Amino acid sequence: MATSRREILKFGLLGLVLLAGNSDDASAQSRTRFVFANSSAFDSLDPHTVFDQGRAAVRFNLYDGLLRFVDNPPKLIPWLAESYTVSDDGKTYTFRLRADATFHDGTPVTSADVAYSIERILALGKGPASFYLDLIKPGSTQTPDPHTVVFNLATPSAIFLTTVPNILVVNSALVRSKEKDGDWGAGWLARNEAGTGSYVLRRYEPAVGWSGQRFVKHFAGWAGQPIDQIEFRTVQETNTRVLGLMRGDFDGADGLTYEQIQRLRQSPNVQVLEAESMRVFLLALNNSKPLMNDVHFRRALAYAFDYDGFIKNIMKDSVTRNPGPNPVTIWGTPPGLKGYSFDLAKAREELAQVKQPLRRITINALAGYSESEQAAVLFQSSLRQIGIEADIDVTPWAVVASRFAKAETQADVTPVWRSTFYVDPNNWVGEGFGTRYHGTRTMSYYSNPVFDQLLDEALLTSDQERRRELYEKMSQIVSDDAAGIFIYNTRWFGPYSTRVSGIRFSPGTNGNDIRWATMTR
Amino acid sequence: MISLIKSIVRHRTALVGLILLSLVVAVAIAAPMIVPYPEDAQIFHIERRLLPPSSEALFGTDRMGGDIFSRVILGARTTLLITATVVLSGVLIGVPIGLVAGYYNNGVSLMLGGGVEILLAVPQIILAIAITQSLGPSIGSVILALSVTYWPFWARIVFTETRSMCHETFVESAIALGASAWRVIFLHILPNIASSIVVRTTTAIGTTAFASATLGFLGLGPPPPSPEWGRMIAESRDYLPDAWWYALAPGLALLLTVLGCTLFGDGLRDILDPKTRRGG
Amino acid sequence: MNVASMVANRLVWFMPTVLGLLAVVFVLARIVPTDPAVLAVGENATTEQVQEARERLAVDRPLPEQFVEYLRQVAQGDLGTSFYTQQPIVDDLVERLPATLELTIIGVLAAGLIGVPLGVVSGLSRNSWLDHLLRLASVLFIGVAPFWIAMQLQLLFSMRLGWLPLSGRIDDFAPETVTGFLTIDALIAGDLPNFLSALRHIVLPTLTLALPGAAVIMRFTRTSVIEAVASPSVAYQTAMGLPRRVIVWKYVLRLALNSTVTQLGLVFGISLTGAVVIEAVFEWPGLGTYAVRSILYSDYNAVMGVTLCVGILFALSNLLVDLLQMAVDPRGAP
Repeated sequence: MATSRREILKFGLLGLVLLAGNSDDASAQSRTRFVFANSSAFDSLDPHTVFDQGRAAVRFNLYDGLLRFVDNPPKLIPWLAESYTVSDDGKTYTFRLRADATFHDGTPVTSADVAYSIERILALGKGPASFYLDLIKPGSTQTPDPHTVVFNLATPSAIFLTTVPNILVVNSALVRSKEKDGDWGAGWLARNEAGTGSYVLRRYEPAVGWSGQRFVKHFAGWAGQPIDQIEFRTVQETNTRVLGLMRGDFDGADGLTYEQIQRLRQSPNVQVLEAESMRVFLLALNNSKPLMNDVHFRRALAYAFDYDGFIKNIMKDSVTRNPGPNPVTIWGTPPGLKGYSFDLAKAREELAQVKQPLRRITINALAGYSESEQAAVLFQSSLRQIGIEADIDVTPWAVVASRFAKAETQADVTPVWRSTFYVDPNNWVGEGFGTRYHGTRTMSYYSNPVFDQLLDEALLTSDQERRRELYEKMSQIVSDDAAGIFIYNTRWFGPYSTRVSGIRFSPGTNGNDIRWATMTR
Repeated sequence: MISLIKSIVRHRTALVGLILLSLVVAVAIAAPMIVPYPEDAQIFHIERRLLPPSSEALFGTDRMGGDIFSRVILGARTTLLITATVVLSGVLIGVPIGLVAGYYNNGVSLMLGGGVEILLAVPQIILAIAITQSLGPSIGSVILALSVTYWPFWARIVFTETRSMCHETFVESAIALGASAWRVIFLHILPNIASSIVVRTTTAIGTTAFASATLGFLGLGPPPPSPEWGRMIAESRDYLPDAWWYALAPGLALLLTVLGCTLFGDGLRDILDPKTRRGG
Repeated sequence: MNVASMVANRLVWFMPTVLGLLAVVFVLARIVPTDPAVLAVGENATTEQVQEARERLAVDRPLPEQFVEYLRQVAQGDLGTSFYTQQPIVDDLVERLPATLELTIIGVLAAGLIGVPLGVVSGLSRNSWLDHLLRLASVLFIGVAPFWIAMQLQLLFSMRLGWLPLSGRIDDFAPETVTGFLTIDALIAGDLPNFLSALRHIVLPTLTLALPGAAVIMRFTRTSVIEAVASPSVAYQTAMGLPRRVIVWKYVLRLALNSTVTQLGLVFGISLTGAVVIEAVFEWPGLGTYAVRSILYSDYNAVMGVTLCVGILFALSNLLVDLLQMAVDPRGAP
């Protein structure tokens, strides 16, 4: 058979090429390929349901929002929208879209796509939806002309603008054609892509990861020598990521402990970028449970964590203490907020004032994150010294997240990170402790009318000085009430191949926005 | 009995196995007395974490600064507790069911026998993982999950042995002489299949220790910081290759336990059951 | 009873086994202390979605009716949707099945290739130092925890020596799916780099999987060889003065291997369960990792689906063992 002979010939030639030291054909030779070892699995590519930072690469490379965050400290730049206006009452946001933006299939981006995307977010009710469920009524978004979209908010919102980068725009015509039983194309979009992003999805295999080809016609244009092909592989085994970086199989990786970063620093193939990030590691407390609703008990807990020991020995001094709910790198924390220190004598004093009978408490650590587990074990060990017994439960993030959805199911204590979803203190202290976020973005089920009043005002006013004052007050209240136990602010370590340059780190994207980077061949 | 002990002593494999097994049991029972740092199951010294083996910490220290030597020995108690309970309940559930299903030849026995076959067709480890997960991680749920999933092994072996025993002349004559079913089962059949049960049970101790460590390794055993071998091995993965000592001691401890059971089981089979003696 | 009717008998028994399996899986999902309708649609579903699922799953009706409903859905190839991957469970399973089969089949073949020759050598040189050494090795391999030995192999071959990859199934995206076995698919596509990559990735997992199997097969083969040597026919041939080489090749091996064949099927069944934990260590994207992930994430539809799938494979391998046993030795069949 002719074909089989050709196959054999091809095979032989391939062998020759291999022997000659060329592993790819000529056209691929001149292109650059960036391979990232991602610690979280890309089980779904849907930009409106996937919302954790571990899978941010999907959102920022395949899709675009009206605005985008770049750099550190983060700044908001126009993206799919070229300009916007806000009405005087702060309730109407009008965005003017760029005229030249197209989806990957060539369809121009119109206001109808933006409207469809926000409706889809609201209907699916996952991920970014919690920002908008109270703020935007389904059907309220208007499209007066193809390049103008108007969001009509139910109330004024000081933070709406900073959440806009999360409204990623999907190709409405394409997604509509894939809808099945009113699922808003959820089944299809979990495995396919319908965006405008800087990269076009080329291949996707849930077990392996995904790869994207540079979208040459991207509206933002291209400068310098951008990377032609990006691959995000799911590599859950930590040592595979480390070894792959050292060997040069991977050009970047995430989810490494400080010990592993130190090991990578010794490799000639690896450079380690660093930046002070905005990601607070805290022991989230469920303030609604019996005993946990007693401020003295919570203070006793706050005095019983060995902050210095944890930072010095387990984090190897790679991070700094963060005394309050907001990262120290953003405004909104009162100057000189002290927080708590490790002091078992004070803890016992507070415990003596607790009226309710003591009970065992539960610490829910995150599976696969050894720092969370170690914080749990360390805490359990010092709690025992003041007579509080704790059980540790280790579960994956998805389970922790679903437990956070109800006051009855959130564990007493959860060692967890609060990442940047938008750059405003409201992302931490506001959402974490405001009553209005119960069941959506709270981490505490804390409820305090005084706090809520401050929060209501802070969300409505646009006076920056006033907002600073309000968020500082809120932080002080949360700290005094020990509504959460705040440990450190994350330092971002980005291990990259020495061939890579121009990684543009921003707390929201974690450096996963690849369009700005360059690579030598 | 004395002759049995004599044959065990004479049988090298059985003797080695018995010594290993006794060692593990003895160490587990005496654990709090013999470990250098008995408090290391619960209290930690994070300033001493991830230290290589030294005269102070024979097998190094773990990620919380616990002494791995102490924790492995304390872990023997966990393993032993789980294994002993699971094996005991396996015998208590499996043997009666096997006897009844094997002795009678009616609808009930058909159902029991069929049920056992079906349960054996379900992948035990997946079933055990699923049960442990829905009960929440604790020693209790591991015990329950393994007891529920492992008893059919006993049932099957007892069933098969009982069936073949029913065709033996002495059983048939006992039945013909009008002995009651219970009398036949307990006085004639059970003593004759006891050796098979003992052999099966010995090897099962090893299998169960394996299964419980597997659950721990997958993160489903007793929660941290309980000293449990499987979990200790899993924990070490984040610290390889630097902390090469981390998984060494728990792995070897598990190996010695299972090895002891396999060797002792092999030896016992040779001694108790000369029919199936397989070449010494 | 002739062979054909025995085969038929086995096949008839296969159906109740699968039915029983379905019942176990069904009960498994019902003992979870949560509303199955909520489980089916996920915790964030709307009240209407829950109500719809309640009707679809017949939750309000008595258990037997629910079971019948479940059977009807399974018969239609509908195992539900995974909340985690958002895909029909059947699709997920089909995607992952080849990875597990590739691992176990190569693992069992390797176990046979290692175990049989060593067993023969050991049996023929009974009680020599070589025999003792091999028997010691076999007991060690049965006694060692697969996940532990896997980590030691990773430590040596991947981390220290850097010869083999630490985890995963292939370096790049897989070649076009034909069989789902990456090694074979890469060969079909004429893709040498991918073939080598797939091959390098499969070495450590299959080795880990094969070691205990090889030990079991070795022990069994050794016993069979010893029994064969002692058998009257071989004794007769020896007395007739046939050369030892001829006796070994013509009689001993034939007798011994006949029974070893059935062991391969048994080892396949054991390997299938062994694969669950080995896949977890090597991050092998098969049914084992899928099962563990689904259980940890309380993705109950997926748990039911994967238990059913592995159970059926297990039952099939048992069936295969029985059939092989009949083919090899029709008299000894039960």
